[in-house]
Amino acid sequence: MMTLHRSLRDERVWSFALVAPALLTVGLLFIYPLGFSAVSAFSAEEEGGWTFANFIKAFDLYSNDILFTVVIVSLSTVLIGVFAIAIGGYLTLGENLYAVAILKWLYRWPLFIPFIVAAQLMRTFLAKNGLMNNLIVGSGLLEPLQTQSFLDWRGIVITFVWKQTPFVALLVAGAMASLDRSMIESARNLGAGRLRILIEIILPQVRPTIVVALILSFVVMMSVLSVPIMINAQTPTMLTVDMAFRINAYGDYGVANALGFISYLMTGVVAWIYLRHGVRQGGSP
Amino acid sequence: MTMTSHAASVRFENVTKAYGAVVAVDRVSFTIEPGQLVTLLGPSGCGKTTTLRLIAGLEMATDGKIYIGENDVTKLPVTDRDVSMVFQSYALFPHMSVNENVGYGLKVSGVKKREAQERSQEALRLVGLSDLGERMPAALSGGQQQRVAVARALVLEPQVLLFDEPLSNLDAKLRRRVREEVREIQQNLGLTTVYVTHDQEEALAVSDRIVVMKNAAIAQEGTPRELYDNPADSFVADFIGDANIVEGTVLGSGGETANVRIGSLELELPCRSAAAGPAKIAIRPEAIRLSAGDHGAGMRGTVRKATYLGNHLEYTIETEIGQLFVSDPHVESPAAPGDAVAVQFERRGVTLISDQTGDTNGAPEPSAR
Repeated sequence: MMTLHRSLRDERVWSFALVAPALLTVGLLFIYPLGFSAVSAFSAEEEGGWTFANFIKAFDLYSNDILFTVVIVSLSTVLIGVFAIAIGGYLTLGENLYAVAILKWLYRWPLFIPFIVAAQLMRTFLAKNGLMNNLIVGSGLLEPLQTQSFLDWRGIVITFVWKQTPFVALLVAGAMASLDRSMIESARNLGAGRLRILIEIILPQVRPTIVVALILSFVVMMSVLSVPIMINAQTPTMLTVDMAFRINAYGDYGVANALGFISYLMTGVVAWIYLRHGVRQGGSP
Repeated sequence: MTMTSHAASVRFENVTKAYGAVVAVDRVSFTIEPGQLVTLLGPSGCGKTTTLRLIAGLEMATDGKIYIGENDVTKLPVTDRDVSMVFQSYALFPHMSVNENVGYGLKVSGVKKREAQERSQEALRLVGLSDLGERMPAALSGGQQQRVAVARALVLEPQVLLFDEPLSNLDAKLRRRVREEVREIQQNLGLTTVYVTHDQEEALAVSDRIVVMKNAAIAQEGTPRELYDNPADSFVADFIGDANIVEGTVLGSGGETANVRIGSLELELPCRSAAAGPAKIAIRPEAIRLSAGDHGAGMRGTVRKATYLGNHLEYTIETEIGQLFVSDPHVESPAAPGDAVAVQFERRGVTLISDQTGDTNGAPEPSAR
């Protein structure tokens, strides 16, 4: 009996020893900073103790930016979804083999471009005297005085969509390609056109992949600083810019952490959807 | 509401399908009469599924003409052909219930919801699944899924019904039952049906006519009996049932028959335009009669292998013309390996064959059994 107890205890010790490095890494590099930041958001810096002052100040100063962030990231997510489905759909159902091959080759390029480079690229493209307007003026569609800069909320959305669509399209196209091809042929045989097949046959089957890809994309966009700061640093702007400003200009970690906590809440909602999806699928999320 | 038949003929005129340099179907011509069940039979890669897909419009012909009824459908897209197909994997939509699967084609065609429901119910009743309309495909057995696929194809009352190896995912017993059901529905509704399989037994069981394909072309076409009794060449003889292909000599022919020497035996066989000289002969395993001992009439032989299969015995017999594969129904007096036997041939089941094509293209080799 004693031997059995000892061997069980040894087994537990070894199990813990094996998992300890991973736990330590997660604890030190993720849970501690996250927890510290959350606690700081609710702490009064000078007097000590718990307070909502940081949140009240954050809402006073940045409620427009909070709303702006939600709208920008949500709109970008929707547009990314639409474009990714269109790309995946064409790669799966397209009949022009050359067009499919060219699209397959081209659409992934932005994946390999960092956000800051994408932002810089869009600055030169979307500015009032940028490449886009030059092309429009050159083609005679607009006079130079009629052109306008897109370096505002539209620029952020365009950059996010341009940068994140390939990521979502990659996952969605992969899921579509793994469907049984005879199912698509069967729908065609029953008289369904390509758009109908995409909407009624393919999308319901790849929906979990679309949801997961869009959620990951949402979280990435919530954390990007370079794009809003380079394209639209004026008010309203995104929370990441405000957080950087509070720290760099005022050393105000309390409000910055409060804004961070609000960001957690937003991503927390989508993370909850993500986890729920994973559980519903019966596998690991 | 009852299902009606709009059966139409299918006609191929010199149809070719090429993928670059690879020719999948090579100048194929045939006609399927309305209401017939015709099987495209052949080994893997012979072009039978491509031929079926050409009828469906899932592939477009590189050359030649395809007619359904009197209409030239060669360039018509799949969505505009009045043809329904049952796929090998059934291809049911997993996110739709059985009712939704069966009614999908009607919904796409713009049939009113109520009528679509009635017709779906009727199709499900035909395949014996009236009570399972609310189930999802994943909750059905393989046989039930196969029937849903049949119901989904039937409900559109197509001019032509296509089956692409529909029984290959079912176990042997279920396969037999389902193929009988498919044949019964086809005959009751008078549907023009094209059926693809590589299983010769299945083809013999369900078909009005069989088109045997080899190397992207038609090797022989006819009724099951014609193909079995009078195979055109060693490939067809080998593919439709089992056959021993042996060398012989045509001694002379007089009108309808020819005198043929096979080893030490002489037989009178249907002539089939054979000239005097060396010839190949296909001998069905069940056309070989064995008698015990080496003193009876016939060719001398020695049993090399004997296998008991319940209702018959299978032997490999060593003879002067090589090894013969024999199927013997006399299970009560089995011969043992090493026994001497006398070998004789029945007239039915022994056929002179033209043999321009020695290549069996993957067909089963009886002597290897």
